[in-house]
Amino acid sequence: MRVLLVEDEVRLADNLATALRDGPGFAVDWAEDGLAGDDCAGNLCYDLIVLDLMLPKLDGLSLLKRIRARRDATPVLILTAKEGADSIIQLLNAGADDYLAKPFDLGELIARAKALIRRGKGAAHPTLTVLGLTVNTLEQTVVRNGVFVDLSPTEYRVLEYLIHRPRVIVSKRELLEHLYDYNWEHHSNVIEVHVSNLRKKLDAVLPEPDPIIETMRGRGYRLAPGLRMDADQSSERDVSSVPIPEPGQ
Amino acid sequence: MKLAIQPRSIAFRLIVAVLAVELVSSILVVVLSFGYERHIHFRAFDVMLHGRADSILGAVQDAEDPGDNVMLDKADLHIPPDDVYEVYDEAGHLLGRSDNWQGAGPGVPTHSLGDFSQIRVSGHHYRILRIQGSRTIDPGEHGGGKLRKVTIVYGSPTFHAWHAVRGAVEFYAAGSIILLIVTGPLIAWLLHRGLLPLRQLASLASQVSVDAWQFTPPASAYSTPELAPLTHAIESVLQRLEQSFIQQRAFVSDAAHELKTAVAVIKSSLQLLTMKRRSAQEYQAGLERCLADSLRLEAIVADMLTLARAESSAPVDGPQSTANLPACIDQVVVQLETVAAHRNVQVNTTVSNSIEAFEVALAPEACTLLLSNLLLNAIQHSLPASAVEIILILETEENAPTAVVQIQDHGDGIPLEALSHVFDRFYRGDPSRARTTGGTGLGLAISKAIVTKAGGSISIASQPDPALPDQGTAVIVRLPISR
Repeated sequence: MRVLLVEDEVRLADNLATALRDGPGFAVDWAEDGLAGDDCAGNLCYDLIVLDLMLPKLDGLSLLKRIRARRDATPVLILTAKEGADSIIQLLNAGADDYLAKPFDLGELIARAKALIRRGKGAAHPTLTVLGLTVNTLEQTVVRNGVFVDLSPTEYRVLEYLIHRPRVIVSKRELLEHLYDYNWEHHSNVIEVHVSNLRKKLDAVLPEPDPIIETMRGRGYRLAPGLRMDADQSSERDVSSVPIPEPGQ
Repeated sequence: MKLAIQPRSIAFRLIVAVLAVELVSSILVVVLSFGYERHIHFRAFDVMLHGRADSILGAVQDAEDPGDNVMLDKADLHIPPDDVYEVYDEAGHLLGRSDNWQGAGPGVPTHSLGDFSQIRVSGHHYRILRIQGSRTIDPGEHGGGKLRKVTIVYGSPTFHAWHAVRGAVEFYAAGSIILLIVTGPLIAWLLHRGLLPLRQLASLASQVSVDAWQFTPPASAYSTPELAPLTHAIESVLQRLEQSFIQQRAFVSDAAHELKTAVAVIKSSLQLLTMKRRSAQEYQAGLERCLADSLRLEAIVADMLTLARAESSAPVDGPQSTANLPACIDQVVVQLETVAAHRNVQVNTTVSNSIEAFEVALAPEACTLLLSNLLLNAIQHSLPASAVEIILILETEENAPTAVVQIQDHGDGIPLEALSHVFDRFYRGDPSRARTTGGTGLGLAISKAIVTKAGGSISIASQPDPALPDQGTAVIVRLPISR
């Protein structure tokens, strides 16, 4: 998952970026003012935008309005030092999804960031299950048919992204964009290696290989191609049935 | 003041005053009417006495006796039963007397004629008139008859007249009392109505609070000459108060934002350290970062206090506190020598007009703070290997000598859109630059507060275009010179 952090206070931005990278293992891009934030958000490659309100050049509220004006539905978490219900109401009405008042708790920030990403992808529970494959996004553990699967951090992040979008073809480019920040050299063959290793590890726990990740040549990857909307499954997971919400304005 | 002991409402005082005036005038009316009525009634009384005495004279007849005497013929007399009379002839013999009287006594006839006098007859006051009349006996005879003189004493009780006078006075008195009783509540009601604009104004003014500054005085408050000055005064006071409240609120909000951000930095730094196990070096580095963050928080608080002190209306160190401007400049240049050297910036001081020492109306500490703020800004925003110029000029125009200090740097300048905000609190023209210089965004706000308090002015001009030779920023401070 890739997060855009727009915050002008360099020390705070440092801490937040480190926490989001170390904790849930997100890729974090940092923009130090409103205009830079707007440029980054324009790439539409983020799963969450963490936005400070008081920013030079372009304030947080205006940036939020710009984001929503181009029908970008990326979840936005606002960091604010302002008091009063009025400004919070104004923010939420302008399209913010959540807010945190400074000084905030890092653990709470991470939990809210995860919840917003989950919600943005249509999942309500931090544990996602597809065809006997269960990913616990809190513990970052993967279980297939009751057997624990040991994954590297990057493999886990690939799987976490894919399990949020079952049956949807995810291109290599999309995977790259959502797993790495812009400081990363984009080599698509890196993704191929990771997906290949991931597929092997997921099959290794089964008596017979049952590829759950399908490679669509030249188009990308697809998780759980054989998934059917059975009643017992949809009660456990509600990922694919919920469309990604359209922007409110 | 007596009123301070027992304060009463204006309406109450006005009512009491009006009623007192009314009471005094009704007493005057009663007294005057008494005098007037008494005068009128007794004049009529006297005319009546004369008439009745004359009718007594008419009843004096020829006695038809040999002595040609006169007699009183009571048969044709029709006088009120209360009246008394007696008639004497020239010799003082009593010719006749009313039945209800024993006579005025021997004293009365000695009174001069035509006089009125007072006597008491059977317990009543009587007014007595003496007139002298004459009757000609046998006018047809030789010699034109005989002239017989008679003296008539006639009296009538005065209580009728007094009764009439008392009736009139009682009428006036009763009228006045009724008037007093009626006008009291009437005045109260009229005053209540008349003071309506004042009460409206008061109720509107009482609705003004820190959260609701809306004050729209009623039209009556402006059109009433007595209320217009009060209304304007309330309006302008409220406007000034609102302005200062807005400023204070903006400052508190800005300060809260800065402080919360600073606290958020420290808190997140500490929480980051506890997120997972770290090596001793990592902990040490983290603690050092937290310490640096705390120092920044401390600097913000210190600057906010300085600004609050500079903006307070009270003089810093008494009104007579002055500072020697050239000496302060020298002192600040020496103070910041190392900073300038560290950034490879040269500081040149030019003092024109061969100025020696002179004083500006500023506390020395404030003067030094002002100059060091401005010079530090200039040094920090200078390009490496450039120079900062401090130019001091004395203007002696129009009997108001002014010291002009210009601090010019050759840095990257301030963008035009930021120029109007540089004196705002917590404003940072360029956040990345503020980060490298560690400013709190209060330096120029403090400088402006100091200069404004000293009665001077501060302005800033900047040329951010690197293509032009005069690129850089100039801050110009004008301070009045105190003698």
